[in-house]
Amino acid sequence: MFIIKRLGYLVFVLWGLSILIFVISRAIPGDPARMAVGPKASEEVVQRLRIAMHYDKAIYVQYYYWFEDMLHGDLGLSIVTKHPVLEDIRQVFPATFELAIFAFIFLILVGIPMGIISARYNNTWVDNLGRLLSYLGVVTPPYVFAIMGMLIFCYILKVLPAMGRLSPGLIYPPKITGLITIDALIQGNFIVFVDALKHLILPAVSLGLLGMATDARITRSSIYDNMGKDYIVAVQSYGIPERVIMFRDLLKPSIIAVVSMIGLEFGSILSHAFLVELIFNWPGFARYGMTAVMYTDLNAISGVVLILGAVFAISNIIVDLIVDFLDPRIHLIKERSE
Amino acid sequence: MLNGRAKILLIILCMVGILIGISGISVASSIVRYNSDWPVLIDPAVAIWCQGQTAVVNLYDALVITDTESNIISHVAKSWDVSSDGLTFTFYLRPGIKFHDGSELTAEDVKFSMDRLLTMGQGFAFIWSGKIQETEVVDKYTVVFHMKNTFGPLLSTLPSFFIVNKDLVMANIKKPGIYGDMGDYGEEYVSSYDVGSGAYMIKEYKRAEHLLMEKNPNYFLDISSAPDEFKMIGSSEPALLKTLMARRELEMTNRWLTSETLESLAKIEGVEIARWLFSNMDYICMNTKKPPLDDVHVRKALAWAFDYDMAVKLTAGSVQARGPVPLTVPGSDPNCFQYHRDLERAKMELKQSKYYGHFDEYPIECVWAVNIFKQKQSMLLMANAAEIGLTVNVKESAWTFLASLCASIETTPHLYPVTSSAYYPDALPLLQRYHSIRSGTIDSGEWLLDPVLDKMIEDAACIVNENERYAEYTKITRYIIDLCPTIFLAETPDSRAYQAAYIDWPVTKGEVIPSYKYDNCIRFIKVYPEKREELLKK
Repeated sequence: MFIIKRLGYLVFVLWGLSILIFVISRAIPGDPARMAVGPKASEEVVQRLRIAMHYDKAIYVQYYYWFEDMLHGDLGLSIVTKHPVLEDIRQVFPATFELAIFAFIFLILVGIPMGIISARYNNTWVDNLGRLLSYLGVVTPPYVFAIMGMLIFCYILKVLPAMGRLSPGLIYPPKITGLITIDALIQGNFIVFVDALKHLILPAVSLGLLGMATDARITRSSIYDNMGKDYIVAVQSYGIPERVIMFRDLLKPSIIAVVSMIGLEFGSILSHAFLVELIFNWPGFARYGMTAVMYTDLNAISGVVLILGAVFAISNIIVDLIVDFLDPRIHLIKERSE
Repeated sequence: MLNGRAKILLIILCMVGILIGISGISVASSIVRYNSDWPVLIDPAVAIWCQGQTAVVNLYDALVITDTESNIISHVAKSWDVSSDGLTFTFYLRPGIKFHDGSELTAEDVKFSMDRLLTMGQGFAFIWSGKIQETEVVDKYTVVFHMKNTFGPLLSTLPSFFIVNKDLVMANIKKPGIYGDMGDYGEEYVSSYDVGSGAYMIKEYKRAEHLLMEKNPNYFLDISSAPDEFKMIGSSEPALLKTLMARRELEMTNRWLTSETLESLAKIEGVEIARWLFSNMDYICMNTKKPPLDDVHVRKALAWAFDYDMAVKLTAGSVQARGPVPLTVPGSDPNCFQYHRDLERAKMELKQSKYYGHFDEYPIECVWAVNIFKQKQSMLLMANAAEIGLTVNVKESAWTFLASLCASIETTPHLYPVTSSAYYPDALPLLQRYHSIRSGTIDSGEWLLDPVLDKMIEDAACIVNENERYAEYTKITRYIIDLCPTIFLAETPDSRAYQAAYIDWPVTKGEVIPSYKYDNCIRFIKVYPEKREELLKK
């Protein structure tokens, strides 16, 4: 019931978002038709495109046409790539999705343990080091890490590839999911899998560092807060080993705040990947969106924002479900209010 | 036995070792990799920016091309005739030229390509639109362009006209589309697939990542010494370029890099900077219909006040411009008047202005977009104007916004710096900037709207005899300079970093083909893989 209700909300959210982005994208300066056909094209040619794309009509009429097409699974034509926007997104989305997944894995696998260790050894040099690292991660933009990482691992040490998703000479595995690592594993192509993984390391780490640092700080402070609670003092007095207390009694209530944060982080990674994609020449969704804005490619802008909105909303639903599972009190409050 | 932590550490070390160790991926022994901004539009009827043109000159063939001395030489057309009245151009095609799908290139393909280009009206269509009345197929290897009026530089324009495979495009037309019976005229298909006959053909096109081309084994010319592959990489990020250059994974850069980036690339062993003057011109447009710039004396005052020596120093290898046409372009006037910095004369001009004493009431705005050079030029102008008592406010803008501002007289800024170049080896395109029909575009924000000038340009364009046409260009050039609608800053070079140690690139030896983007024609380049290997071993 909860999921159905949330999915119902999701439809309304996306509808509202589509109206908002449709209006905002039309406010971007520049004539999209002129941008599409080039600066020297005659006014007649520009006007022909305006009519074909309905740019000559009132904004609500334009929205009507766009919405009607969208209901039929058509997000319109990109005036830059000359391809249907949905087809473009199908091509570029998996690249960013794969990048986001690996950034996400990195931030969970490193951020949460770092927070736990900091809390466990609070006010020691270990804690100080963890806090320093997480502070650096929070204040340093991802593109700085990307450039530094590239200079160290690609330029000086030459141990990692500098760009793209796959090395020259390797052939992309037949598309199943669009995620090269997964597709390569499904087809048992270990060479391609490892090569794709090598290409993912730097961009994923750069992209995940901010989230990793944030999660480490939240995990640490959350555990630290809970450490002084009565129930923890009680279990400690029974002589239960500290490791058991940490993972059985402390981590579960402390992790709720982190999980809520992580949901937002996934969507944020997708939308903030632009600079990292640019630096590593990653053929992704964020870069496609930025090009769309630069070329006033209205259909592409609307399509990108709509997909991003859907990812944000769906990841939030998943997070709510996880939090619901982790914290029974939330579930109980909901039941009582119903 | 290892404990748990040691096992985990061992597993991690093994994984890192595997990641670093696995390699042995082979690349073509002879490849040229070039960085390009994105998107790369590969349809010859659409491509107009240099990234698209770079792809197109390698994927497609033109009827004729030019040599390094601007002479028109045969290519797909082995010869041609021009009728005595200059209204009919007959081209005789070489038999046996094959498209990449194996079909033969014939006169039908030439007609289809021109019809498609003119109907779509995009890219370089403006060059021939309204000039070519009809394309006629006489026989399989003979095609005729019937002109509406004489058009003097027609042959010089044709290196920018590329031939597509009619049958392949027709088989991939999508209906309905905005071109009526022709649907989308194959626009969607040609934007992703190769329908050409050029020296290179598409091997892999990963949009926003790279465009990889391989040598056409059936090319009609001998290209045995040309590189096996050409790859356009979709990024201009300086850290990436530096890394790729140092790892010998990039052979040449595009022309849009800052001097700082070029200098840092030049520090890499074996990498050099190639600079050559082509047809690029930096200038500052003055909106001649907006007070106080509607007064020629104010415009001349700014032209006298500008510090050209400083402007030239902003871009290495540039020289002060002399009039609206770079001296490297056929039809330019080497003897035309050239402004220099003279503050006294600038002040004298201001005194003759009807706005003298009231300049405070007419704030002047200079808007810059695109890159740091434009900002520097704007700031320099602001400083120079202040020296003669004029206040210029400098603002930054997005290029798209500036382009939309230039659509009307009222919104076009007083001043803005811009770069332009001749699309074909003739002065006409740079003089046509001042024709009323071009007003309202970002290249032509002067808004002269001068019927006398329009007529002079139209008449000159019709003159078939080259010397007579150039004489008319000289008159037009002097007429424009007298109106002072533009501050002609500098002829700027194409500046590129390239792997001088292992590629032989004719343009670096001065062998520049003065047709738009033929400097990126890869079949003229030679690569020495063994020298690359030597560098990698160091």
